[in-house]
Amino acid sequence: MATHRRMAFLCLARINVLGLQKSVNRVAYATALSVKSSTGNKRLPDRSSRKSMGRKRDVEEPRTQKMPVDQDWTAVYPAAAPFKANAVPLPVRMGYPTKGGVPPEKRGNLELIKIPNFLHLTPAAIKKHCEALKPFCTEWPSALDTDAKCDEHFPIKVESTDYVSAGPSLRNPLARIVHLKVKLSSLNLDDHARKKMLKLVGERYCKDTDVLTITTNSCPLRKQNHDYAMYLLTVLYHESWKTEPWEAEKTVADMEEYSWEDSPSQKNLLDMLLRMKVAGEGEGEEMQEQLLRRSEVQEYKNSVVRLKNEGDSESAMLQYKEAVKKILNL
Amino acid sequence: MAALMGLRRELFSLARILTGISHLGPRLGACSGHRKCNTTSSHFPLTSSTSFHTATVFSSVASSIQVTEEPDTLFQKVSIIVKGHDRAVLDSYELFATMAAKELSITISKVYEPPRDVERLTLLKSVHIFKKHRVQYEMRTHYRCIELSHLTGCTAQVYLEYIQRNLPEGVAMEVTKTAIEKVPDHILEPTWKDHPIDDKPSQ
Repeated sequence: MATHRRMAFLCLARINVLGLQKSVNRVAYATALSVKSSTGNKRLPDRSSRKSMGRKRDVEEPRTQKMPVDQDWTAVYPAAAPFKANAVPLPVRMGYPTKGGVPPEKRGNLELIKIPNFLHLTPAAIKKHCEALKPFCTEWPSALDTDAKCDEHFPIKVESTDYVSAGPSLRNPLARIVHLKVKLSSLNLDDHARKKMLKLVGERYCKDTDVLTITTNSCPLRKQNHDYAMYLLTVLYHESWKTEPWEAEKTVADMEEYSWEDSPSQKNLLDMLLRMKVAGEGEGEEMQEQLLRRSEVQEYKNSVVRLKNEGDSESAMLQYKEAVKKILNL
Repeated sequence: MAALMGLRRELFSLARILTGISHLGPRLGACSGHRKCNTTSSHFPLTSSTSFHTATVFSSVASSIQVTEEPDTLFQKVSIIVKGHDRAVLDSYELFATMAAKELSITISKVYEPPRDVERLTLLKSVHIFKKHRVQYEMRTHYRCIELSHLTGCTAQVYLEYIQRNLPEGVAMEVTKTAIEKVPDHILEPTWKDHPIDDKPSQ
């Protein structure tokens, strides 16, 4: 570069010495300069070719300028990709605004690159994907509209959970847990079987909703846990129908419900009635049966059974009071 | 008559797939229970990648769908809970998931936002001593719950795989609860009716 300058100055000096007109000087100066620039162009690529080529490319406009308005956006972002400022034709600004200014622009903005973007999931793209997925879907049977119908035809419900997260491993040990829920009213159980089932099952039964919940997590795989839960249900069912010889030793304390027959309350009432001599004379079982068949006695029995089974409440106490009044003829 | 839905179907046999519930009860009682259709994954990646860019591949996709005689599982409720640190990302994801469900004609029963959890830590600021100077960190977890109802096994598999493949990176996690309905078959009658005094442990 230095040699070129020297040459130019020499030219200038020579022109001045000759005493030519200013215009000529200017022309000469201009030509000298133009010569310099042309020689500079020829020389520059040899010395720093890459710099000039890069600078030339920066002048090009970004891709967003060339995008037509009705383009197919699903072709620009077909899959999840980071945010490219020159491919997204939106004037987005992101970041904390400078003092008295605005958030930084999208060009070279790291904040826009960091966050997950949904540019590949525009409504048009979702519709396209779903069109391709439709053939693999099946329809829900139209006759199972309501939950009641589902419960009637399919009483057993099996619940399990899947987990998706980022980490060193795909697997989650909690995914093997299976909950099996069934309403006991939908199973074929008689009275004794139902009571035995409740005793076998214990806390797993909910009285309010009549739902038996069996939770299995002892096997490592979900399928195994599911099979084990079905096996437990089968065993419970068949065992509850069986009557073991030791079940005859069931005492009054083991009973689930209060039954009035052969209870101290019945004995007391009969004794009292006999002493009152309400029905006249005569004793024996026939007398007792006659007494038991009387409506007041039945009412008293109902009220006592209700109090014992359902607990104390206003209406239950009133019913008991009425029954007692009728028996004692008050 | 064909049994209930299988996973892969031929397009010309669509008519005989959809049967009424009148065939459902006794038919399913006779079958040996439901089995999960687990063969989508081999075909799914093919279709999803090829059918976006070119339309000509669709014909090959259609011909690869076959009907199987396996009875389909039925899900009464599918509950998707997404967790993330950024509520805006969860908003976008919810929009995507609900739109996808509508396109695939899945009934959405409820979409709601459970309250966020914030886990806070108070640590010592310095490596050594200076007990009075601490620094506090917090981790905010936002939730979003989408409940779908009345899905078949095939539809649920397709939808969940689509949703899970498009989960945003790291920020959102997903927990799916599925409740399946079934019919008991060997629990209909006790085995003791024929043998009243029996000690058989198994059925």
